[in-house]
Amino acid sequence: MATSLTALGSIHHTTAFRSPVCAVEQVRGYYVNWKMLRDVKRRKMAFEYADERLRINALRKNTILPKELQEVADKEIADLPRDSCPVRIRNRCVMTSRPRGVKKKWRLSRIVFRHLSDHNQMSGIQRAMW
Amino acid sequence: MCCDGCVTCVSARHCRPLYAFAMYRRVFLSLSHFQQPVVFPQDACIYSPKCISAATPRIFRAAAPCGYRGLSTGSVLCSEIKDEPPPLKTKEKAQEERAEETSPQTGRSGKEKLLALLGDMKVQVTTKRRARPMAAAPGPVQKRPEPRPGEMESTISMFQEATAAGGKRDTLNPALVAAASAAAASLPDGSRVESELLQQLRKHEAVVQAQAGQRADGRTLGNIIANMKVGRRGHPNQQGARRALDDDEDDGAAQRHAQARGVGGGPDGERKRRSQLTGKRLNIFSKTAGQDAVAAPTLTLWDLELANAIAAAVKAVPRNGFEEMIQWTKEGKLWRYPIDNEAGLEEEAHVPFHEHVFLERHLEDGFPKRGPVRHFMELVVLGLAKNPYVTVNQKVQHIAWFRDYFRAKEDILSEAGALQN
Repeated sequence: MATSLTALGSIHHTTAFRSPVCAVEQVRGYYVNWKMLRDVKRRKMAFEYADERLRINALRKNTILPKELQEVADKEIADLPRDSCPVRIRNRCVMTSRPRGVKKKWRLSRIVFRHLSDHNQMSGIQRAMW
Repeated sequence: MCCDGCVTCVSARHCRPLYAFAMYRRVFLSLSHFQQPVVFPQDACIYSPKCISAATPRIFRAAAPCGYRGLSTGSVLCSEIKDEPPPLKTKEKAQEERAEETSPQTGRSGKEKLLALLGDMKVQVTTKRRARPMAAAPGPVQKRPEPRPGEMESTISMFQEATAAGGKRDTLNPALVAAASAAAASLPDGSRVESELLQQLRKHEAVVQAQAGQRADGRTLGNIIANMKVGRRGHPNQQGARRALDDDEDDGAAQRHAQARGVGGGPDGERKRRSQLTGKRLNIFSKTAGQDAVAAPTLTLWDLELANAIAAAVKAVPRNGFEEMIQWTKEGKLWRYPIDNEAGLEEEAHVPFHEHVFLERHLEDGFPKRGPVRHFMELVVLGLAKNPYVTVNQKVQHIAWFRDYFRAKEDILSEAGALQN
């Protein structure tokens, strides 16, 4: 189980992602679209740099340390790769990669959610009637 | 008729006489062949246990007792069916070694003597009960000349009176003689019949008295049996198996069967087991046989690693959803069920709490003892102390990172005046 100081959950590991050991492979996988793939990359990178970002931010966001140090820290965090920041992560639908209308608990867009629950594939989901 | 091979039994009442006859026939055949009565499953209505329990006791009751003259073809047969001589013979074998020691004979074994005694015995058909024990197995029945039915009552009563008086004398009982003469008088050839009768009586008396009284060699059945000791061979299993054949004789067969077996438990079972274990050594194996025994092979980490490597190489495509889930769990994609909050933190459970809370000791080296840096670091340590979700190593690494960072930025800190104590 991967542990990190941030609240990021474990990122999905796919067989299609490039591993650091072997050579560059053709990126051919099972993601719905390239956007989804990029989102996956961002998530991975955010996981890698999470600890460092937290520490540098701790230096930056306090009133005790001298401002010179904090300015240096600002520069350092800006030099980190852009995809390492968690802000760039978008909670897309897992099935359709839809960026909007996604319920976080199920990681599904509203359309897929409705489709599955109508076919009784969602545990504990029932049509509301009152 | 249910003898067409069908399994279902019409009714017990209807069945009994029909296949009781069939069973009788089979018993006859088997008896004639000197075998144990075997019930073949081909016989009709044997499958239903009701029929079996109803009919078989009848059959065996008919077959076993030797008083049933229709079925008993000989004393030997009857005894075989009853299964008495086999245990008796084992007893005799055990005693023949001891009997020979106790009372030396003229070259004959105790078993032979006993058999001779039993063979010589004759049945005395009287209503009077003798004081001495009589023969167990009846010999060939002595047939008396039956008087005519007309004089039956009187002659029988005369005979009874005569025998009741006792026959311990060598000479014939005068009452017997009178009865014989009375019986002979009723017949046409009176004198010859009387003489023949008296001869028979004398013979019989002689035999009976010889059997009842002391024999020439001083050994009677009573003496032999009294001298016999019960030999404990320790074959409870064999005896239990033999006893099982007599089960159907009684109505309480199941109880006796269970009792005989002892259900393998309790003190009887232990005694049986002990008696089986303690016995004569067979000396089949030599003592050095077990010394070269190889120690049980244990799995090493290398073996496990090899097994894992083989499994990884031959990673088969999951055949079903279960195997897929198993694969994902092994990879770490799927959590283990039931959900454990501390799934990957087994070692952390052994770490004591004070190492989590009291982290100021890590601030002793590498950090200034005063100033804003120290202030900052104390706050960091305070935050870490309140964090139960991180391991101690991670906390230490956290502090170490800051140490390295402040060391790298020393010039900026000193320029800013943070390092002045």
